[in-house]
Amino acid sequence: MSNIAGKAYAMNLVTPIRGYLAPLNKLFFWLVGTPLFKSRLQGLLTLSMIHYARWVIVRGDEFPRVEEHGQGEDSVYSYMFFFSNFNGTWEQYVDSFSAAIPSGLDLLWYKNVGWPKAVPELPFHAYVEHNQITTDYYYNAYPMAASNDVKSANKVKDALEAFVTSTRGATPEEFLGQYNRLLKSLQNDLSQMDASPIVSLASEAIAKRRRDGDRSNRRTTTHGT
Amino acid sequence: MPNQAGDAYALTTICPLENDAHQDRSVATVIRQRLKDLPLHEHSPFARVPNLYLCRLFVLDELTYQGSPARLDRLRSKYLVFVCDLHGPLDPFLAGLWDNAKETLASIFAFCVGFKDVRDGRTFAAFIEKCQLTTTFYFNGSTDAPLAEQLKALYLKQEFAKFAMDHQGEKADALQRAFADFVKRVEPSNLAGPTWRAGASTLDAAEVRA
Amino acid sequence: MSLLDAHDIQGNILKGYGRSAYPKARYLFLQVKEAEKARQFVRSLVPSVTTSAPWRDGANVARPAVTTNIAFTYHGLRELGVPRDSLQSFPDEFAMGMKARMDILGDDGASEPANWDPIWQSEVHIFVWLSASTTEAIDGKYRAIVALLEAAAPGVEILRGHRGPGKQDDLPYQEASALYGPDGTPQAHEHFGYTDGISNPFFKGNTAHEGALMGGGKVTTAPPETREGWEPLETGEFLLGHKDEACESPEAPTPSLLARNGTFMVYRKLHQNVGSFDAYLERLGAAFPGGKESLAAKFVGRWRNGAPLATFPSEKEADEFAARWAAARAAIASAPDAATRDAAKKRFADLNLQFTAFDYAKDIDGGRCPAGAHIRRANPRGALEFGVTGAFETPGAVSNRRRILRRGLPYGDSTERKDDGDHGIIFMAMNASIRRQFEFVQQQWMNYGNDFRLANDKDPISGNHRTLNGTPDGRMVVMSGAKDPAPPFFCTQLPRFVEVRGGDYFFMPSLTALRLIGDGDIDPT
Repeated sequence: MSNIAGKAYAMNLVTPIRGYLAPLNKLFFWLVGTPLFKSRLQGLLTLSMIHYARWVIVRGDEFPRVEEHGQGEDSVYSYMFFFSNFNGTWEQYVDSFSAAIPSGLDLLWYKNVGWPKAVPELPFHAYVEHNQITTDYYYNAYPMAASNDVKSANKVKDALEAFVTSTRGATPEEFLGQYNRLLKSLQNDLSQMDASPIVSLASEAIAKRRRDGDRSNRRTTTHGT
Repeated sequence: MPNQAGDAYALTTICPLENDAHQDRSVATVIRQRLKDLPLHEHSPFARVPNLYLCRLFVLDELTYQGSPARLDRLRSKYLVFVCDLHGPLDPFLAGLWDNAKETLASIFAFCVGFKDVRDGRTFAAFIEKCQLTTTFYFNGSTDAPLAEQLKALYLKQEFAKFAMDHQGEKADALQRAFADFVKRVEPSNLAGPTWRAGASTLDAAEVRA
Repeated sequence: MSLLDAHDIQGNILKGYGRSAYPKARYLFLQVKEAEKARQFVRSLVPSVTTSAPWRDGANVARPAVTTNIAFTYHGLRELGVPRDSLQSFPDEFAMGMKARMDILGDDGASEPANWDPIWQSEVHIFVWLSASTTEAIDGKYRAIVALLEAAAPGVEILRGHRGPGKQDDLPYQEASALYGPDGTPQAHEHFGYTDGISNPFFKGNTAHEGALMGGGKVTTAPPETREGWEPLETGEFLLGHKDEACESPEAPTPSLLARNGTFMVYRKLHQNVGSFDAYLERLGAAFPGGKESLAAKFVGRWRNGAPLATFPSEKEADEFAARWAAARAAIASAPDAATRDAAKKRFADLNLQFTAFDYAKDIDGGRCPAGAHIRRANPRGALEFGVTGAFETPGAVSNRRRILRRGLPYGDSTERKDDGDHGIIFMAMNASIRRQFEFVQQQWMNYGNDFRLANDKDPISGNHRTLNGTPDGRMVVMSGAKDPAPPFFCTQLPRFVEVRGGDYFFMPSLTALRLIGDGDIDPT
């Protein structure tokens, strides 16, 4: 089990909503997606801790119907699945949302059964802990890149390609001038990436056991050949 | 289309599990064991899948009870939850997923209702679509570029930062020559390589040579 | 009546003792040998313990010549007989102690606990520290405490094993002292030459002067040069049992009497590699456009005289400010009458504000103060909203819960300007949650850069920079000014300038709780 893949943390929350309110929640999400509410997302974008996140609201009878399992679920409540890929530690993430965009959270979890509100923090922590489901396997294509790094890298790539084109045939002096302008335009994007800092002592202990296991497996192989 | 944010696509699948046990162990236990045994990071079978940014798998055993006065909800079956963030559209992604990870998928999904009908990419896609949920709201806090472009961009950011630091204060002609060598080495527009390896979690493992 | 019961709160919390009045300190670490006798020692120490009650001329609390304070590790509380229920209600990180948290703190390589002063290889239980203006005053109090220990023998022992000048490594205490100027007065500088301790959090119930609010409180949306630009932080960020910035009481041990008016304290002995620091500044400063002093300022975000880069981007402006400040101070002393003196004091206070009452709203790109400079990392002052006004509930939303009270002093002598030797800073910090405040700042802000959009860059001064294949691997991007066409400047091969030589996590109880601990009278039932 692990919620962690490098700099990304996978959070899974499955929370009940009273059935008759679910359409209202869906309406809120629809509104949040409209230009009118773009400012609501400003906080999320500025926090810049999330690669991707999604909310999925389903009634019991909307659970998948496959063959003999054709009836879906007959749950009392509708359920909201929340899946997030964020950077940083669990507490950093949960606390940042509680502190920076509490009214947004209260809207998105509007009237979820047992939702305590995003502030104060300790009941909110307890709610998330109570409803979080551990990921059994998590894969991340760029474990060394936070969302900030991905965005910054795209900027560097675009600027670099344009620079290569525009400096073709330039004299050394012209080149230097343009190069310095390039560096200036990228001056907030030139920090280097590396492996993630540890997310918790427990997850680091597991990763270390796996690394040690891999090493001893390799040793065994070497002895065998 | 709520499953998409630009070209980023949110695939959410929850696959009902057969209620039987497997060799005296619950199906959930077997799946968890198989997931635990999958290699991680650059060794993951998912690292071979084109345009897959992130994915996760877990078994949903039960719905969490919220305590009185909330009502107790029980599921009719357990589910295998499979969630991907990918560069869309979905169909070619699913084809690439099956082509590159079919053994893993066959092992992990073996106990899902309906998976026994899966024989090839087409039937796999049909199975996934039956278990797919429609996203209510998808937030893209990153980019929606093809994965190969993102990995190349990360490689370039890292290498260019090093170049800039190594050549600080250099004279114009020497700098221009060094930069020409740099471009020759990193090939900024060649997505095939050199680039970063999908799934690499350490710098030592990251670089894919051209 | 004041907001807080200052007589119940230990000293140095509501207001720092200050290094001009208390430039000397001595830190003693004790081990409990026998519970009842140890409790007797604690009881006997209570009358000496300095509280936060304000010192006023002619009021009932006189300013003491020497202060005494006490705190406990988790193991110490256990050995003193605090019941299991209460022990288990303390936060994990406190129970584990600093050594066990090394992977969070980044205490690797030279900073590994195995390389700490020998005392830290023993289990520390009790921390007693003394502050005074002279070593003689400390000696007197020290002898009194030794007498209390002897009276309670064999309850508690002083642990030896502090390193000191020369090759000493079994000293019974750690000495600390402000650095002194040529005129024999204590200075605010630390061994790298920076003015230290300028900015500390201002919270409700603080007894610091009102001016400390500006720059010490939390930022609002109003301009930072104005009174409206700041609000005091909630008390519960620094004292248990009070409302905090999340509108609740912080996580705390039970029963509540044990927790209330107490705080958690971090003690860290930080060695400073002054030789490497000087050499690095000399070498890179020669290439840096503004020269060596300017580079030194870019590392920290302040000129070595303390003037903040955000307000004084050039050395000339910083020097002129320092001259105005010195003149204003002199004007107070030479004022011929009370009215002139009051006016001079007012002018001096206004100038003082410029050290603290600023933010980075006009410097989001870091052209003045680099995004990775030490003070901008340690206290981002709303910079994490990245200029997107209104993005967050309040500009400091993600930094207001990360503040720490700093109460440290330098130790040792670095006049030879070598890495070797025993000199550095005793870092002491107080906060309601070591995990959420101190450890977070240490791990995410000192030893990592993502919150500042600086990938894996670390703090240039205190980051735990690695050495790869024999070459130091630290980096820093010094952004160029908004109107300056120059490219950014890169500092590469930054070595580790600061190394950990010891430390632990302590609970600093209220006077009420201290008596309960001494009496063995804690009942969480």
